[in-house]
Amino acid sequence: MDFKTISFVILAIILAPLAGGLLAGIDRRLTAWFQGRFGPPILQPFYDVIKLLGKEPQVVNYWQIFCVHIYLIASILCVALFAMQADLLMIFFVMTIGAVFMVVGALATPSPYSQLGAQRELIQMLTYEPLLIIVFVGIYFVTGSFKIDDILAYERPIFLALPLLYLVLTFALTIKLRKSPFDISASHHAHQELVRGVLTEYSGPYLAILEIAHWYDIVLILAICSLFWSTSWIGLVILLAVTYMAEIIIDNVTPRMTWKWMLTYVWAVGISLSFFNMALLYAKSF
Amino acid sequence: MLAPQLIGISIALPFIAAVLCLINVKPLRSALVIGTGVVVSVASLALMQSETISFTPESFLGINPDGLIAILDFALLFVILGIAYRMKNKLIAVLTLLQIVPLAFLELFMHPGENIGPALYVDQFSVIMCMVISIVGSLICVYGLAYMKEHEHHLKLATSRQGRFFFFMVLFLGAMNGLVFSNNLLWLYFFWEVTTFCSFMLIKHDDTEIAVKNATRALWMNMLGGVAFVLALIIFRSQGLPLSLQEIITAESASKLILLPVGLLCFAGFTKAAQLPFQSWLCGAMVAPTPISALLHSSTMVKAGVYLVIRLAPAFAGTVFSNYVALFGAVTFLGAAVLALSQSNGKKILAYSTISNLGMIVACAGINTPAAMAAAVLLIVFHAISKALMFLCVGTIEQHIGSRDIEDMRGLINVMPRTTMVAVIGIVTMFLPPFGALLSKWMAVEASAHLPLVVLMLAVGSALTMVFWGRWLGLLMTSVVPEKAPQAEAQSCFIRLPLLTLAVAAVLISFVAPGLYTSMVLPVLERFYDTDLYISARGVISNNIGMFTLYPVFVVMTLGVIYAVRASSSKRLIKRGDYVTPYVCGLQDSGDSRKLGFKGPLGVWADFKTSNWYMESLIGESRITGWINLVAIGILIILLAGVF
Amino acid sequence: MGFFQDLLHTSRVKSPWLIHFDCGSCNGCDIEVLACLTPVYDVERFGILNIGNPKHADILVVTGTVNPRNAKALKNIYDQMPDPKAVIAIGACGTSGGVFREAYNVLGGVDKVIPVDVYVPGCPSKPEAIIDGVVLALEKLKKRRPEKDTEPLVADLKKAREFYENREDRQVTR
Repeated sequence: MDFKTISFVILAIILAPLAGGLLAGIDRRLTAWFQGRFGPPILQPFYDVIKLLGKEPQVVNYWQIFCVHIYLIASILCVALFAMQADLLMIFFVMTIGAVFMVVGALATPSPYSQLGAQRELIQMLTYEPLLIIVFVGIYFVTGSFKIDDILAYERPIFLALPLLYLVLTFALTIKLRKSPFDISASHHAHQELVRGVLTEYSGPYLAILEIAHWYDIVLILAICSLFWSTSWIGLVILLAVTYMAEIIIDNVTPRMTWKWMLTYVWAVGISLSFFNMALLYAKSF
Repeated sequence: MLAPQLIGISIALPFIAAVLCLINVKPLRSALVIGTGVVVSVASLALMQSETISFTPESFLGINPDGLIAILDFALLFVILGIAYRMKNKLIAVLTLLQIVPLAFLELFMHPGENIGPALYVDQFSVIMCMVISIVGSLICVYGLAYMKEHEHHLKLATSRQGRFFFFMVLFLGAMNGLVFSNNLLWLYFFWEVTTFCSFMLIKHDDTEIAVKNATRALWMNMLGGVAFVLALIIFRSQGLPLSLQEIITAESASKLILLPVGLLCFAGFTKAAQLPFQSWLCGAMVAPTPISALLHSSTMVKAGVYLVIRLAPAFAGTVFSNYVALFGAVTFLGAAVLALSQSNGKKILAYSTISNLGMIVACAGINTPAAMAAAVLLIVFHAISKALMFLCVGTIEQHIGSRDIEDMRGLINVMPRTTMVAVIGIVTMFLPPFGALLSKWMAVEASAHLPLVVLMLAVGSALTMVFWGRWLGLLMTSVVPEKAPQAEAQSCFIRLPLLTLAVAAVLISFVAPGLYTSMVLPVLERFYDTDLYISARGVISNNIGMFTLYPVFVVMTLGVIYAVRASSSKRLIKRGDYVTPYVCGLQDSGDSRKLGFKGPLGVWADFKTSNWYMESLIGESRITGWINLVAIGILIILLAGVF
Repeated sequence: MGFFQDLLHTSRVKSPWLIHFDCGSCNGCDIEVLACLTPVYDVERFGILNIGNPKHADILVVTGTVNPRNAKALKNIYDQMPDPKAVIAIGACGTSGGVFREAYNVLGGVDKVIPVDVYVPGCPSKPEAIIDGVVLALEKLKKRRPEKDTEPLVADLKKAREFYENREDRQVTR
C-alpha cells in the first residue's frame, strides 16, 4: 500500500459519486431528448440529493437506517477495492453485502410495497449474480487471473476475445442500472407503479444515502465494463459511451417485463452466450 | 502432556463419561457433560501445538486394542441385526448381514493386520476436525442440558429419557474423535458404524411413529455406506494393500486397483454426508430434538463423510474420477440450494443448506488443487460453527414461540431480541464477506474456474443461497418501533452461553482465518502440492490467480457497522415523539396509530399480512426431488464406472 | 455555513417533488396537472417529478372538494410527508369547495383539513397557472426549516377548523 495507491483510492472515493451523479443527469437529459422535450439540467441529481439531505428524517424502524448505512459503506468499499486493484471475485462478493442489506432494510418494514419490492429485488439479484461470476471466469480464462492488476497487464483488449461475454455483462449492467426491460424492482421512471418498491419507506437523508450508494454502484459496474478495453484510453471511452448510450436507448424502447420472463430469458441467453464464447475460445486455441 | 495421552483422552474419556451419564442423578450428569466438554476442548486446543504424530496405542486398560475393536465391531453389528429383527425390517437385516459376513471373512482369512503401520495418524487436519468436534460438540451438549429439560417438560414425560440422550451424545463425541484420528481402516470403520448407530438411536429418541420411520431410513442409507466400506476393505486386501489410510493415499500408482475401493469409500462418505440422492435421511432427521440436529446433522457426523473424501483426495488426484466427483458435488450444491428455496420450515432450510455446503466440499475435493483443498478444509470449520449456531437459535426460537416455520418468526426482534440478534449474526456469517464461510466459497469458485460446468453450478447455487438467507434475515426484523423497548427474554445460562460463544467464535475465527490457514492447513497441503498454494501475508490471502484482502475488508466493515449502529440509535431521531406508519395510500385510519393495516372496501379493516413465496408448484420438494435424485444417481453410476 | 444554507435553499427550489392527491375532483384539474408533465409543458426541466410516495415528496398537490371520508386519507398523507413541505390546492373546488360548497357531504376545500400554502383558482386551472402556483410554493418552501416553522400553519388550521365547524349557520339551503 504505497502512497500512489492510497491517493488513487481516496481520489476514487471522492470522484465516484460525482461521476455517478453526472452520469445519472446525462441519462435524464438524453431520455428527455428521445421523448422530444428538454429535460432537467445535468446537475439535477445533485440538487435532488442535497434537497433530500435537508429533509426531516422519518423512519418506520431503526433497522432501516442501519441497513442503508451498510449498503453505502459496502458500495464505497467496492470502489475503493477496485481502485486498489484487488480481486474481481472478492469485489463481487463485497458488493453483495450492500445488495443484501438493501433488501433486508426493505423487508424490515411491514409495508406491502416494500415487502413486494424486496422480494422482486431478490429475484433481480438472483438473475444477475451468476452472470457476473461467469463473466469474471471468462476474464480469468483469457488473462489467467482474477486480480485486476494482472488483467490490466494483458496486452490485447479483452473485448476482442470475449465479445459475447460482454453482451452478457451488459445484461447485468442493465439490471444493475435499473433499466427496462429488467427494472422489476425500483425503476427510474415509473415512480407510481408499485411505488418504487424497495425505496417506499425511506425518506429524506436515507433516500439520499441510497441514491449516493447507487451512484457508487454505477461507477463500479462501468469500471468492470471498462476492463474489457483497458489497453487504450480512447477505446475505453468509446466502449463505455456506446454501451451507456445503448442502455439508454433500450431503456426507452422496451417496456418493463415480468420477473419470470426476465429470469428465464436472462439465464438462458446469458448462459448460452457464455458457453458459445468459451467454445469459440477453445476452438481458437487449437 | 504428551500428544499421545491427549489423543487417548479425546477418544476414551467421552466413552467412559457416556456410560456414567446413564446414572440418573441430575447434577452428576450435568457435571459429567460439562467436565467432559471442557477436558476434550482443552485437549484439542493443546494438540494444536504438536507436530504430526503417528502411533499405535499398546494396550487399552490391558486389552489389545485391535482385538477389542474387532470384538466391539461385531457386537455392534449384531446389535443392529437384533434391532432389525425386532423392527421386522428386512432391508436393514440384509444390509447388516452383508457387512457381518464379509467382515468375518476379512478378519479371519485375509490377514488384515499385515503391514498396517500405525493405527492412529494425527496431523493438523485431524486436529482441526478434533477442535470442531470437541469445542462445537461440547457447546451443543451443554445446550442440550437446558433444551432437553424444557423438551421433556413440554412433552409431559413420566420418566426422563435424558440418560439415554446424553449417553449417545457424549459417546458420539468420542467416536468422532476416534474417526478423525484413525489411520487403521478397521478402526475407522468401527467408529464410522458407532456414529451410524448413535444417529439412529438419537433420531428415534422421541419414539414417535415418524421418528422411528425416519431413523430407520437414516439407518439403512448409512448401512448401505457401510456395505460399500467393507467391500472396499476386501478389495484392498485382495490386492495385497495394507488397510492403512496413509499408505493408500501415498501409494505409487492411481491404478484402477486402488481407484475402485477408493471410489467405494467415497460412496460411503456420500451416504454419510447425505449427498443427493441420499438427502432424504437428513431431512427426515429434522424431527429429532434440536441438539441432535445441530450436533449430528450439521456440525460433526456429516462432516465425517466429507472428511473421508478429503483424506482420500490425493489418491484419485488427476483422474477422470476426480472430475466426476467434482461434478457430483456441484450438482448436490445446486440441487439442495434449489430445494432450500422452496422451504418455509426453518430446520428444513438449514438441512438443505447443510447438504448444499457439503456438496461444495465434495466438489472441492474433486477439483483436487491446493486452492480447492484449502477451501474444503476451511469450509468444514466455518460451516460447522455457523450452522451449529443457527440450529441452536432455531431450537431456542421454537421452544419459545412454538413453531419452526420461518413465517412465524416474522418480527421476532420484538419478541426475543437477544436470540434474534444472535440469529442475525449466525445468518450473516453464513453467506456474507468477510466471514469464513464466504472466504471458503470464494476459494472454491476460483479453484473451480477451469471446470465450466462446475463453476456454473457453483455460481447459480451461490446466487440461490443469497435469496433464501437474505429473506430470512429480513423477516426477522419486520416490525415497527414498539411503544416500549422489548424486554430481553429469559434464557437459561446453559442456552445463552453456547449461543453467545458460538456467535463470538463465528466472527473471531473468521478474523483469524489467515492465521488458522497458515498454521493448520498449509502444512498438510505442502505434503502433497508444491505450487499454486495460497499464501497469507499481512491479512491478505493470495495465490497466483486471486487475492482476498481479509483484514482490510474486516476492519472497514467493523468500523462501518459501528458507525451504522450509532447513526441508527434511537435517541437522536423521532424528535416529535411519534414514529411513522408504513405507507398504505393513506388508508390507515384507526384510533390506534400503531395498528398495522388499512381500511379496505366497505370500510372493513384488513390487517397487515405478508409471506414469502415458496414457489411450491415450481420447485416444491415433492415436484423436483424425483428428477434431482435421477440426475444424481446417473452421475453416481458414471462416477463409479469411471474408475475403469 | 452560509454557503451550505444557500446550497440547500437552491436545491429545494430546483428539485421539487410532487405528490398529487385527488379528493373527490371531477378529474378536470387532475388532467391539467397531468398535462404539465407532457412534453408541451415539460415541468421536468424544472426538476419537478411526480413522485407517488408522500415519504419522498415535498409538495402536496390536492384537487377536489374534500369529503369526510377522504379527509382522513388526506390528513394521513400530509402527516407522512417529511418536513419541510408545502401544500397547493388546485381549482375552485380545492380552494373553497367550488360549486359544491353547500353539499351535505362536502367539507369545502382543502384548507378545512390541512394548512394550504398556495391556492390556484380555475375550473379547471390552466397548466400555466399550476406551474405558477408551484413556483410560489417553492418560494415559501425555500427557507422553511423542518419543525420550526409549523406554528403559524397550525394557527391557520385552527381558524379553518372553526370556520368549518360553523358552516351550518351559513348554509343557504337545507
